[in-house]
Amino acid sequence: MGLWIAVTEASASQLYHDASFVWLGLPDGTNFVMGTLVSPLGALMLVVVNVVGFLVVLYSNEYMAHEEGLPRYYAELMLFLSAMNGLVLADNYLEFILMWELVGLCSYLLIGFFWKKPSAASAAKKAFIVTRVGDVLFFLGVFILFSSLGDLSSATPATAYAGTTCPGGVLHWSCLGFTFTPPNTNSSVPFLPANAAIEASNFGGSSWLPTLAGLLILGGAAGKSAQFPLHTWLPDAMEGPTTVSALIHAATMVAAGIYLLAITDIYFGFTLTAAIVIVGIGGFTSLFAGTMGIVAPDIKRVIAYSTISQLGYMAMAVGAAAVISDLTPTYSLVNGTPVLNTFTGVAMFHLFSHAFFKALLFLTAGAVIHAVGTQDLFQMGGLRKRMPITSITMLVGALALSGIPPFSGFFSKDDLLSLTWQAATLESTQNGSPLLYVFFALALMAVFITALYIFRLWFLAFSGDRSRGEAPAASHGAPAPAAPTSAPFASSTSSSSSSSHAHDAPAAALPLASSTSSSAPSASGAHDGGHAGGHDPSWIMTVPLVVLATLAVAAGFLPLIPGVGHLLPGLSWTVLGKCVTNCGAGSSFDLTDALLGSASLAFAGLGILTAYAFWGNGKVYRLPKDSPLLGVHSVLLHKYYFDELYDGLATHVILGLARGADWVDRYIIDGTIRGIEELFSQASKSGRRLQTGIVSSYAAWVVVGLLAFLVFFLYVVPWLVGGFHLPPTPGL
Amino acid sequence: MTTIPLVDLLSLSGALFALGLFGVLTRRNFILILISVEVIMNAAILNFVAFSLFSPGPAAGGIPGQSIAVILIGLAATEVAVGLAIVLALNRLRGTLNVAEAIQLKL
Amino acid sequence: MSVDAATLAFLLVGIAAFLAGALALLSREIVHTVIYIGGFFASLGVVYFLLSAPFLGLLQLAVYAGAVTILLMFAVMVIKRRIFAREAVLGIKAPTFILALLVGAVLLDLAQRVPAYASAPACPASDPYCVSLLAQNLFLDNGGWLLLLGFVMLSALAGAVHLAREWRTPAVRKIRED
Repeated sequence: MGLWIAVTEASASQLYHDASFVWLGLPDGTNFVMGTLVSPLGALMLVVVNVVGFLVVLYSNEYMAHEEGLPRYYAELMLFLSAMNGLVLADNYLEFILMWELVGLCSYLLIGFFWKKPSAASAAKKAFIVTRVGDVLFFLGVFILFSSLGDLSSATPATAYAGTTCPGGVLHWSCLGFTFTPPNTNSSVPFLPANAAIEASNFGGSSWLPTLAGLLILGGAAGKSAQFPLHTWLPDAMEGPTTVSALIHAATMVAAGIYLLAITDIYFGFTLTAAIVIVGIGGFTSLFAGTMGIVAPDIKRVIAYSTISQLGYMAMAVGAAAVISDLTPTYSLVNGTPVLNTFTGVAMFHLFSHAFFKALLFLTAGAVIHAVGTQDLFQMGGLRKRMPITSITMLVGALALSGIPPFSGFFSKDDLLSLTWQAATLESTQNGSPLLYVFFALALMAVFITALYIFRLWFLAFSGDRSRGEAPAASHGAPAPAAPTSAPFASSTSSSSSSSHAHDAPAAALPLASSTSSSAPSASGAHDGGHAGGHDPSWIMTVPLVVLATLAVAAGFLPLIPGVGHLLPGLSWTVLGKCVTNCGAGSSFDLTDALLGSASLAFAGLGILTAYAFWGNGKVYRLPKDSPLLGVHSVLLHKYYFDELYDGLATHVILGLARGADWVDRYIIDGTIRGIEELFSQASKSGRRLQTGIVSSYAAWVVVGLLAFLVFFLYVVPWLVGGFHLPPTPGL
Repeated sequence: MTTIPLVDLLSLSGALFALGLFGVLTRRNFILILISVEVIMNAAILNFVAFSLFSPGPAAGGIPGQSIAVILIGLAATEVAVGLAIVLALNRLRGTLNVAEAIQLKL
Repeated sequence: MSVDAATLAFLLVGIAAFLAGALALLSREIVHTVIYIGGFFASLGVVYFLLSAPFLGLLQLAVYAGAVTILLMFAVMVIKRRIFAREAVLGIKAPTFILALLVGAVLLDLAQRVPAYASAPACPASDPYCVSLLAQNLFLDNGGWLLLLGFVMLSALAGAVHLAREWRTPAVRKIRED
């Protein structure tokens, strides 16, 4: 279905199909609408969500076969997918938020699928709470849009479409772009994308308000897509089943954040400041997360860090696209309407290709875990011979992730870097700020890091002759003499690696070599250890792998498909894209693009070679005992102490705040209430004495009231209004 | 047609009202309270008559006020009868006429 | 300040009424109270005569000075109780006294502020005391209300008779024993 929509969309002449109805109409004319919007980006997302979702569900059939609570699992999975479908089909921010929250809920449920494990439960809570921080920011951003753009009739949009009323309600995306959408369902009038909307004039002359709105929305996206300050939930989310990880990382949860950024750029636009912040956060995150991936001992966590890193790329690309839109807006005519060119398609392209190779990586990792019964890389090894299909498909995924042609990651990542370079050049020539070059450099370094950690993973898991399962087993429980002395560059001793790793502790006692103990309980829960021999899984799990591997290759050639240009606005930057669109027309070969492509390729190759040097052929590199890098290693292993930082924040700052709030509640609010209560209690105590039953005293009080009444109206009121007047002649 | 000024009538009425009020508030004897209430009633009736005499309406001689006064006199007489019946019942049941002792607000 | 005869008479009678009322309320002996209050009612009746309302004056004399006073006298005789000694002049409680004084002061002040309205037209020559007009107003114009009032009064009187009866029910006996 999603594919059909996408194909229709790609071949359709009209890009936007909107069917909406008024969900909640307010008396002042404000409408909240619900509706379905099929947009190019949405169609692309439909493909991603449904293809990956289908393969994951197929894969789950075997992978999850031995688990309890399967109905719950599939129900949550389906809810997840449908929420994601709803999200990409939403046509206004309100509906988007609803779906967004559903996605968040499902991720909470699925990460906490093994709810009996404390670590899984806490990981689910962590994911929920951390993304909730982002959600609050997102809400605030949307509130700003709503309150600032709320009265569109009085706003003065800077475009030719000024003054049109907005039947869909202000949060409707067509309204944010200040374009009139005819009420009929098959509108051929395109949305006018953005940038008109972020004019300060629409925000009461405030230039910082649209920036703030953009940054708040970025906050929401950062929460969902695990960008820098809010990234901590994603590695812990590995507590869920591997299939769920694949889904979350490839198609659903984290893609929602990037999708939010992309549509916000298209329909609303980011101011330059906001765009640069996005580039910065994205670029920084890509490198930052990658470095943590180098030392992680857990196969799934390595891939999780790679997800954060790749999401950083995507965010960076959206930011770069926004920078370009802000600095040199260009328009093209669609059906006679000028439409701002946007380049968010580049980010979406990477999301698209990333979805496939990331799902592939997770599913192959799942197959490995399924087969060997541990998630610890240092207990694997030599699996290449026993699991050839898994090995090869994972290699495809790793190559795609590293950005080696002809795998898809190369094209999309190259696009993205090229776009960022373009934005950086624009920024530095127009505003003289080299800031974006710095972020670009970070991203380029991340290419090297990416190749390094993913091939470290691959070499550790698949190369060599035999498993190293025995080695680290001793480090659990009593400290083995070897552990402190030979602190490994990346070792599973993970003596301190935060407690959330603890789930693989019992599994460590189940090394591959000693496969006899197949009945030992598997703590990760994602597998039952029954395939201790380590062989390729059955076709149910293999078919998705092969399909995804094929897609991981093929996704790179997506722009070759005619019509896809519709789906990926602005995707014409790369060597490939240039060739697809212009080579035949004899256009010149862009030297910058070529250099960038070569550079990223070189970095990736360097990364692979480095990985081979350290970990190839079954080697395990260990840092020398006195290496100054040990400190760095420890920091990385502790994920830059972010968990500890947030814990400290929670324990001291939040607890302090809570204590303060408690004090306020106890003594001020409760005090007020108790005071009122005391007042009435005392009043009734003294009032009770008035109830003597003596008629005379009642009469006296009546007279007091009468006297007060008379005095008030005869003396006080005339004194206030200046004179006492009776009518000169009584009227009859 | 009268030559007595309205102010004098109203002053007498107000003074009698205050007197009756004083009686109601200070006396403890039920009969005295009843009598005080009658004084207040008389003050009110006098007020009606006085204002009626000085209202230049179509009715001659302050007739509406006199009508009300007639009705009120009848009403006051009834009230005295009922009040005295209550006095008798109270005296018989409680053996007192002191309102300060009849604080149960029932017979 | 010239005062005509009617006004002078009114002033005297008014002072007499006030004094009679005050004496009635301050008397130590309840029989004296009843006598004084009879005087009070009678002087108000004279006021009505002075106000050219002889019918009202007669009614006042008959109902108030006559019937009500005698009713009070009977009640006092039945009960045979003296006014409590502590309620004599010296027993006035200051706060309530001041309260009554304040109300009186306010009312007197209010009386001074009432503008000098023109007096109502005189009664026609054919009916110098407006008695027929009063009758017409009372029984024709407001006859319905008067009838309603009559029923109310009648039921009130029935209630009074019921209250004043000698009660011999067990409940009453129990109350008296308590």
